[in-house]
Amino acid sequence: MKTFLFIIIVLISGAFAGFVHGTVNFAIVEPYLDQAIGIENQNLFATGEEEDTPEFWVEYEGYRTWQKGGQILAGVILGVSVGSLFGIVFALSRNSLPGSNDVKKSLVLAGIMWLTLYFIPFLKYPANPPTVGDTETVVLRAILYLTFIAISGFGAVGFYQLSKKLQNNKKLLALLGYGVFISAVFLAMPENPDEITAPMNLVNEFRIMSVLGVTSFWISVGIILGLLWNRLLTKQETPQSYS
Amino acid sequence: MSETRQINVSKTSVPKLALLALGIIFAAGLFVVGFDQGHIFSLVYGEQAFTDLYIHELTHDMRHAAGFPCH
Repeated sequence: MKTFLFIIIVLISGAFAGFVHGTVNFAIVEPYLDQAIGIENQNLFATGEEEDTPEFWVEYEGYRTWQKGGQILAGVILGVSVGSLFGIVFALSRNSLPGSNDVKKSLVLAGIMWLTLYFIPFLKYPANPPTVGDTETVVLRAILYLTFIAISGFGAVGFYQLSKKLQNNKKLLALLGYGVFISAVFLAMPENPDEITAPMNLVNEFRIMSVLGVTSFWISVGIILGLLWNRLLTKQETPQSYS
Repeated sequence: MSETRQINVSKTSVPKLALLALGIIFAAGLFVVGFDQGHIFSLVYGEQAFTDLYIHELTHDMRHAAGFPCH
């Protein structure tokens, strides 16, 4: 395998998928962010921390423009980052993944990583819009969230290794094992310490949009990496031949 | 009479250098979008970076939308 080509394919697929993620968020998540920040502003006025003046709104519009534009750029940065992890895992597991071609294999892996690295951790620590979340607890919350993701990810790898040692009809035991393991971790990990004071319908709708956005990333990265891999990397492999 | 047997094994080993490079990119990108509170710019601008929070503000909306903790 050519090292440089492998890296380029992984980075391009991550960047494109991140661009899709940022664009989808821009379309469906931004209205909820605006609503939530609107509530934050009203709270600032109510407590006297800020005054409802034209100067406030000029400054507000300035940094909101910066943040909204950043959504796309941050999507590309996050896409390249998570896409790199996806590329590593795909390269190492491709031969074991089910599927008749690289796109199917890649989508299967994307589904597994979406479930173990995103959706299960999301059920424990769901995304929150602005107005939810105390600045004082941000480091603690980041540690809890990342720890859960790491435990889930390494747990999935561990039970996958175990499944390779088991006979065909016992392989499902490893899947069951992961289910029991992650359920125990789910119950053992502390709850998010922050109280939600924002309207629950706003929070819930924001969470649904968040899931759709992240899901668009995983589907995109699965398809794009699979296609590029199939076109550019598969042909270089020397097929097994006996003479 | 001798017979030549040649076996070409499919070479699908993944270059370790590539895995290392991608691992570093993964960690760096995750830090930028998920965690930076001025840490990166503080290497150049010092304490002021923790007040300005440029990268945090740039990645703010994605941070919320992708499920990372934020204020």
